[in-house]
Amino acid sequence: MDFNIDHVAKLAKLTLTPEEREMLATQLPSILDYIGQLKDVDTSGVDPKAYLTSATNVFRDDVVVRNLDERDALVAAFPKRMGDAVEVPGVFAE
Amino acid sequence: MTKPSMNTRFATAFEIRAAIANKAVTAEVVTRDVLKTIREEDGNIGAFLETFDDEAIASAKAIDEMIARGEELPRLAGVPVALKDNMLVKGHRATSGSRILKDYVAPYDATVVARLKAAGAIIVGRTNMDEFAMGSSTETSAWQKTFNPWDTSRIPGGSSGGSCAAVAAGFVPIALGSDTGGSVRQPAALCGIVGLKPSYGRVSRYGLMALASSFDQIAPFARTVADAALALEVIEGEDERDATSVSLSETTVPELMSPTLKGVKVGVPKEFFIDGMDEDVRSTVLAALETMREQGAEIVDISLPLLKVALPAYYIIQPAEACSNLGRFDGMRYGTRAPGSLEASYLEARGEGFGREAKRRIMLGAFILSAGYVDAYYKKALAVRAALKTQFDNAFKEVDVIVGPTSPVVAWKVGEKFDDPMAMYLADVFTVATNVIGIAGISIPCGFAHGLPVGLQIQANHLEEGKMISVAAAYEAATQWHEQVPVQK
Repeated sequence: MDFNIDHVAKLAKLTLTPEEREMLATQLPSILDYIGQLKDVDTSGVDPKAYLTSATNVFRDDVVVRNLDERDALVAAFPKRMGDAVEVPGVFAE
Repeated sequence: MTKPSMNTRFATAFEIRAAIANKAVTAEVVTRDVLKTIREEDGNIGAFLETFDDEAIASAKAIDEMIARGEELPRLAGVPVALKDNMLVKGHRATSGSRILKDYVAPYDATVVARLKAAGAIIVGRTNMDEFAMGSSTETSAWQKTFNPWDTSRIPGGSSGGSCAAVAAGFVPIALGSDTGGSVRQPAALCGIVGLKPSYGRVSRYGLMALASSFDQIAPFARTVADAALALEVIEGEDERDATSVSLSETTVPELMSPTLKGVKVGVPKEFFIDGMDEDVRSTVLAALETMREQGAEIVDISLPLLKVALPAYYIIQPAEACSNLGRFDGMRYGTRAPGSLEASYLEARGEGFGREAKRRIMLGAFILSAGYVDAYYKKALAVRAALKTQFDNAFKEVDVIVGPTSPVVAWKVGEKFDDPMAMYLADVFTVATNVIGIAGISIPCGFAHGLPVGLQIQANHLEEGKMISVAAAYEAATQWHEQVPVQK
């Protein structure tokens, strides 16, 4: 098991302070050792997707329900906006 | 002439509702009394992050107007209720105990909140929690600490420590928490009250900020089993807004509980009595089982070998789901936007906004789901989960309920486990399996060890809350542990 903290932080889109990095670099491998004990459990013949409740796909009628004050509250929560649209930094910009 | 009053401290929901319905006291007087008590007494406990005074008093007045009009009163009319900070109450802040949501205002009511309001409950305020519901001590909250009402140098448990303390301190009779790996049952055990985690799908998660979507359930705290059942009755049931919610053929009705232990087969897995658990907790729980036997139950020793790996399986699936769920906190649509390019903005908003435990779990989850490791960890854990469910299903063919300790220890001192994540995770060793396989579990008080509360956990199979509640109520009636309250200073 090859735990590369900087690679994982990049996947998780997290910045870590030097203290956090040091703490996690020690703690996470030992937690991974603990959870790694699962590799010794015999699950031959068990389908990983077998855990399901009786529920299957649940559908509703494709009918629009307008809830304008909820919509206004959602728009009001945008940290930056242009009219009713949320403004974000360019996805492909540097 | 003085206005009729009521001592609301440590009162039950049934008592409060009856007093209001019988016009012995008004809902407004009750609500004002509750808010006053919180103002005066919560300083030492830290259960509440905020009280919704104006709205609570307005709701109480509305109940009084219903009474004046002679209308039939709904199930929780005038009953004060507190909510964990991860449940949306329209127009009010909800931060999930995190800095990253410090300014977030809920745009809608969670389904459980709408149901509580329709039932006439008075929503008194929001309570403290571990950040994003990750924790067993409520110490990772970005805002404040919550202390155990039985000993304020100790933690109340977590992650729903605030809601638990609010009930344990007698401020409100009912509070909602969320239970993903034990976050309601464990604090209930440590604080000597009832904590009921419904079967997965029984209560809608719409409007609950998600931690692990296949484990989370909104779960009530109460002083008595009857009050917990009343809360469940109001909040349970299929919701078209939560596709994982199930339709119930049998709804909860506390008055139809028929508590009994006679002839009940109580399964006790030997894996619930581990090395390293507190010896006095062990003997207190064994004494509780003896009481059940005296009340007519048949104690059946069983073995569930996969219980030994329930905690590691949980700490694979939960961080993976949590990492996925917390991906939405990027400062784009809500929360604090950080400046710069898209990537820089994500990194800064999340770096600044998340606390240590949240970062720990997000990192774990990201690793577990990453290429090259997802089969060995995540898919393996899913297989263990399926196999664990089969073991429990087979056990439930032989026994009615499965019983054991809720927590391996009593409440520990503030700060004692804070720097040792594994020690903290082990606090949930008895509670995680319930969430992993989606069945029902309740913790009820069963005595004291080292002067601190001990909880007994009773589990029933999926949607068999009726059996679980009946057994819990019978044990409660035979022992009256719930009558004991923390000493008033």
